[in-house]
Amino acid sequence: MKQMKSKITWRKITESKLFFPLLTLSLILLFDLIFIPGFFKVQTRDGNLYGSLIDIMRNASTVMLLAIGMTLVIATGGVDLSVGAVMAISASVAAIMMNPVIIGLELPPDLMKFMNDPNFTYSPLWEVILVTLIVATICGLWNGLLVAYVKIQPMVATLILMIAGRGIAQLITNGVRIQIFYKPYAFIGQGWIVLPFSLYIVAFVFLVAWILTRKTAIGLFIESVGTNFRSSFFSGIDEKKIKLLAYAFCGFCAGIAGLVASSNIKTSDANNIGDALELDAILAVVIGGTLMSGGRFSLLSSLVGALVIQAITTSMYALGVPAFALQAIKGVVVILVILLYSEQARSLLRKLSTQKEA
Amino acid sequence: MWQKIGAYISKNRRFIPLAATALLALVAYGVGAIFYPGMRDLQVFLNIFRNNTYLLIISIGMTFVILSGGIDLSVSGVMALVTISAAALIRDGWNPWLVILLMVLMGMGIGAVMGCFVAYMKVQPFIATLAGMWFARGMCFFISDDVIAIDHPVYTLLGRTKILIPGLTELAQARGEAAPFITIPVVVSILLLLVAIYIAHFTRFGRTVYAIGGNEQSARLMGLPVNTTKVLIYTFSGFCSGLGGIALSIFVLSGHGLYAKGFEMDAIASVVMGGTMLTGGSGYVFGTIFGVLILGITQTLIQFNGSLSSWWTKIVIGLLTLMFIGVQSVLVAQKKGRRKEGQAAAQNKRRWAYAGAALVLGVIAMIVIPKIGASQGLSLTPEANRCQLQPYRQEQAAGLIAGGAIIAYERNGGPNCVDELYAIYPDGRIVGDNGLTTTEKQVTVAEVEILLGGINEYGWFTDDLYDTWHTPCWQCYGYYLTVSYDGQEKTVKGVDGGTDAPADYWQVISLVKGIVPQFTTVP
Amino acid sequence: MADKENEALLISMQGISKVFPGVQALVNVDFSLRYGEIHALMGGNGAGKSTLIKTLTGVEKPDSGRIFLAGKEIHPKSTQHVQSLGISTVYQEINLCPNLTVAENILIGREPHKWGRIDWKAMNAQAHEILERILGLDIDVTHTLGSYSVAIQQMVAIARALEIEAAKVLILDEPTSSLSVAETEQLFQVMRKLKGDNVGIIFITHFINQVYEISDRITVIRNGTLVGTWETASLPRMELIVKMIGKSITVLDEMLKTKAETGKKIREELVLEAEGFGRSGDVDPLDLKLHAGEVLGLAGLVGSGRTETASLLFGLEKPDSGSLKIGGKQVAKYSPLDSINRGLVLSPEDRKATGIVDDLTIRENIILALQAGQGWFKYLSMQKQYELADKYIQLLEISTPSPDQPVKNLSGGNQQKVILARWLATNPQVLILDEPTRGIDVGTKAEIQKLVLALAEEGRACIFISSELEEVMRCSHRIAVLCDRQKVAEFDGDVDEQVIMQAMAGES
Repeated sequence: MKQMKSKITWRKITESKLFFPLLTLSLILLFDLIFIPGFFKVQTRDGNLYGSLIDIMRNASTVMLLAIGMTLVIATGGVDLSVGAVMAISASVAAIMMNPVIIGLELPPDLMKFMNDPNFTYSPLWEVILVTLIVATICGLWNGLLVAYVKIQPMVATLILMIAGRGIAQLITNGVRIQIFYKPYAFIGQGWIVLPFSLYIVAFVFLVAWILTRKTAIGLFIESVGTNFRSSFFSGIDEKKIKLLAYAFCGFCAGIAGLVASSNIKTSDANNIGDALELDAILAVVIGGTLMSGGRFSLLSSLVGALVIQAITTSMYALGVPAFALQAIKGVVVILVILLYSEQARSLLRKLSTQKEA
Repeated sequence: MWQKIGAYISKNRRFIPLAATALLALVAYGVGAIFYPGMRDLQVFLNIFRNNTYLLIISIGMTFVILSGGIDLSVSGVMALVTISAAALIRDGWNPWLVILLMVLMGMGIGAVMGCFVAYMKVQPFIATLAGMWFARGMCFFISDDVIAIDHPVYTLLGRTKILIPGLTELAQARGEAAPFITIPVVVSILLLLVAIYIAHFTRFGRTVYAIGGNEQSARLMGLPVNTTKVLIYTFSGFCSGLGGIALSIFVLSGHGLYAKGFEMDAIASVVMGGTMLTGGSGYVFGTIFGVLILGITQTLIQFNGSLSSWWTKIVIGLLTLMFIGVQSVLVAQKKGRRKEGQAAAQNKRRWAYAGAALVLGVIAMIVIPKIGASQGLSLTPEANRCQLQPYRQEQAAGLIAGGAIIAYERNGGPNCVDELYAIYPDGRIVGDNGLTTTEKQVTVAEVEILLGGINEYGWFTDDLYDTWHTPCWQCYGYYLTVSYDGQEKTVKGVDGGTDAPADYWQVISLVKGIVPQFTTVP
Repeated sequence: MADKENEALLISMQGISKVFPGVQALVNVDFSLRYGEIHALMGGNGAGKSTLIKTLTGVEKPDSGRIFLAGKEIHPKSTQHVQSLGISTVYQEINLCPNLTVAENILIGREPHKWGRIDWKAMNAQAHEILERILGLDIDVTHTLGSYSVAIQQMVAIARALEIEAAKVLILDEPTSSLSVAETEQLFQVMRKLKGDNVGIIFITHFINQVYEISDRITVIRNGTLVGTWETASLPRMELIVKMIGKSITVLDEMLKTKAETGKKIREELVLEAEGFGRSGDVDPLDLKLHAGEVLGLAGLVGSGRTETASLLFGLEKPDSGSLKIGGKQVAKYSPLDSINRGLVLSPEDRKATGIVDDLTIRENIILALQAGQGWFKYLSMQKQYELADKYIQLLEISTPSPDQPVKNLSGGNQQKVILARWLATNPQVLILDEPTRGIDVGTKAEIQKLVLALAEEGRACIFISSELEEVMRCSHRIAVLCDRQKVAEFDGDVDEQVIMQAMAGES
């Protein structure tokens, strides 16, 4: 038997993890197309693309980054509530390295102006990024240690860092919300090379994650551990190390997300950066079809899930729905999506697809 | 004799987490009292209750949810919704008692809906209550964007009435001190606690909650009404969210959609520290009050320390939660280990080691942190109350502008509760007034021009800069800045500690901050 | 059966049949239970006895057949439904709440109230009285259920079943597996007492001694068919074993020839050597030796300790005593990964819980252990993976349209083959196969047995565990016998069946 090429059948399409999230996204975009004139207009300015579609992708970048890491964690059967706090910690570390203003809190105005110089940074950019990511990964390792080795429930274990993490972030900057004036740093979140720069970052992290999980055995092991960790253990897989890796990578992704977010607002805001984003990330993964009980996962679907969430937000803005109504609608949409994913709806759709097959 | 004690402990080992929390609370307060004489004042202790009534109320509801093996993330959203709805209704002239009743019913309604999702549609509690939180918080903004203040005699009555404690009043009067008091919400929360304990231990409903948390499938097989009970549990939590929201609105005398952020996590931490396990089925409602106490004591310790930032609170709470989970997981391992003899004793030993290490860490943290403060020579005994942001001196600022100032800048709050109002004039004169003293400074006209240029560049007069508001953090400032320039005048308000304000706003503030003179501290 | 006869019986099940996809679980089985009778139900795992009970308790709906309770026909819909009819089951996993007290577990839902609140004092007194009256048990009912041993927990479950659910029929599903001798005796006392109260007890077990001690009648089910029902007193022990194990029908010549040939090729080198190897609670210290090219059969009834021995050898648990050498080298670290790397693999007994990873495809399941041995980064290329998958699909004749089918869609027999393929792919020196043919159709069974011998011919070694003695005998060069967690005998593969069975039954 040669290697069989998978046939594209209707069944295969509906059963693929990508189907539901893409369907949802398409429905939303269809809705936009009909009801919002000019939504799909893409303008070019200075060789860069702008427009609502681009906005959706750009604003979704932080959640997309978080969702990549969160997918792996959820696939092992766990969850990471601390990603928002880790974002805050990363932002604080980055900010303090570029602008250690707390050292000279009450400097004479002329020196202050120097500190406000967009070309000035206290540490070189590469160093800032490296240290920040290392710190973020250590946070992830901490979570992984608690979950895999001390065997604390993931929700509880990551709750600890979620609570303490913001305190740590504030501690690093001594409570000051540090302004980041350094221009190249702002490029991370606000730069544009045809498309927003943050998208390239997302693509890069996605690529790294994809290689890590699909070009090595790690993805297979994660799915195995998430589906049935006893069978995996019996087959010789060390589930502890797999979980540790998943949480560490999730921390890493949160670190990058923190860099992007703080670059967007040019500040390190320990209280509010990443606030409630962990919930968005989890939701993105759930919409993307990865079960919270663990097992098979799809990074691409999680990205689409994040886009779905952002598409709802942006569409609402474009419709003129005031910002405050957004949260309420989000809540309703979440419930609808979850019900859609519930057993009843899925089995209904499966019945339809098998009927088509017959 | 030791054997007897060992046997007693063994028999009552389920009380160990509870005892541990109570002990820790006691130790923490004791240590604080040693280092900070101010904490020996009974009123300070009572204030912990006063400042945390809402937390206690919502934690009681959360305890029931967690006992059943679920979780309720919607608490903070419902609280916010309640505060703003109540504020709006009272502003529109509704009877406050009716409003309170309605709010509680609303909380119960939202809870019931979530409960149905969990029980009948089998949606995971995490997701169902998360959606509930978003929905509730979202609904806030349908009512109003801004803070709505509550100004009603009944509310003032509820919030400010001092309830004296019999026996202690005479003692204090004898010493010539103010009589220690508590407020009505405190009494309500304690009453609720007692009622909850009764429900948990003396009603079928309460025992069913425990049964569901212990083994839901068994509970079903035993014929217990699992689904109905689940709906009731979330309804009760909704009731507590509603009541807690009322308590919060009494405390801050206002309502806003951004209030209560993160409160659900505080509630969960309180419940966990109170000895209730997140897996469900084990724990005591009584323990929750100790969990709340520990949170409150930690805040008080840090407040008395003065030099430590308020975010230490969060770190300490995180550490404490970790410690308690360590103890919990050891006890669980012990219970499971009973089944098979000859189970790996080594694994249990390791867990005891972790728990012991965590316990030691927690105790050290409780001792070291106050010590750090003490060594820096600070023994301030500031007001036990949270620093209230004073209302902005709007009329005064307007008056200054009318009197020729280009910029009126007020900074309010912060660690030392200041209220500084500056006026910057086109000739370079800067005058400041903080209610106690005044200060003056002269800068060059050119510097003023540069300042104005910078302000303009940041788009002060465009739509990119707008007012924002949220509950300020403990040592955060509120800002009020009016710029009158070139025929245009605009005021933008903001509060520290949030990302909701546009980034350029902070750039402007820092420019102005850089130019105005300091107030010399009065010796 | 005439209605009059039905009325005399507490339970009468007639002509029960049940088919699951691909497997005939029950074929026309009759079963009856008299008033005040202790009726033992026996049969190997997957033989159908659990399915029979499931049709009685409403978990499964029989395809055909009728069920009568006290003369009236019933149609069990759910566990709660049959509970209300008076049929209660006490499972091995106690279906109570371990975090509640004993008193609560008995009385929850019917607690005595005083002035609107639960009267704990009365409840405790009541619970205590119930336990004393029904079971003759005197314990402190205020302790949590979980703080008591499994034996006591079972008693409490029984008490609740009888008192609250007013059970007339009590089904005890393998109640003595976790009990000590003394606790078992206590349970039996209770059962005798219940007998006196006219309660009918269905006693599902595999412990022969206990069956003879306590039961009135015995029913044996094998391969979904009723072998027979006898009065315990009139069925000699040996005959019971024969009925349970069954006689082989097919001619064994060819296999015996293969066995003899491979037997000659057994080499001197020891691939496995266990000395004084044991773990308290699982299996008493034993010695085991295995040569390359040899098949060692491990015989014994379910519960005799065979699976525990296998788990111990594979490194799933750490031994309390003794040493183990694989391929001549001493084992220092006990873990599955370590064993795999040394060339010792285990195909576990419970393929659903510990064998297959059901959401993964056939290909992924097959290469899983091999990949685990290689580590994270040496990922087998897709080409190699498909090659291996195809190779074993062909070799073991796994029936599937493609290797990308999720394993959960396969029949039990094919799933077992996938698991075997997984282990074969690691090119092991020693394979421990625990019940590899359980729940599998006859044709596939033969294939697997042939495979075992083929492996031996290749020079590998095999430990073959099965509850079906004829299988063990067919494939093994030597046979070790376990009974009640002890290794009691070791025989040459050609020894007489009777001798083995005697050893299994605990007689020497």
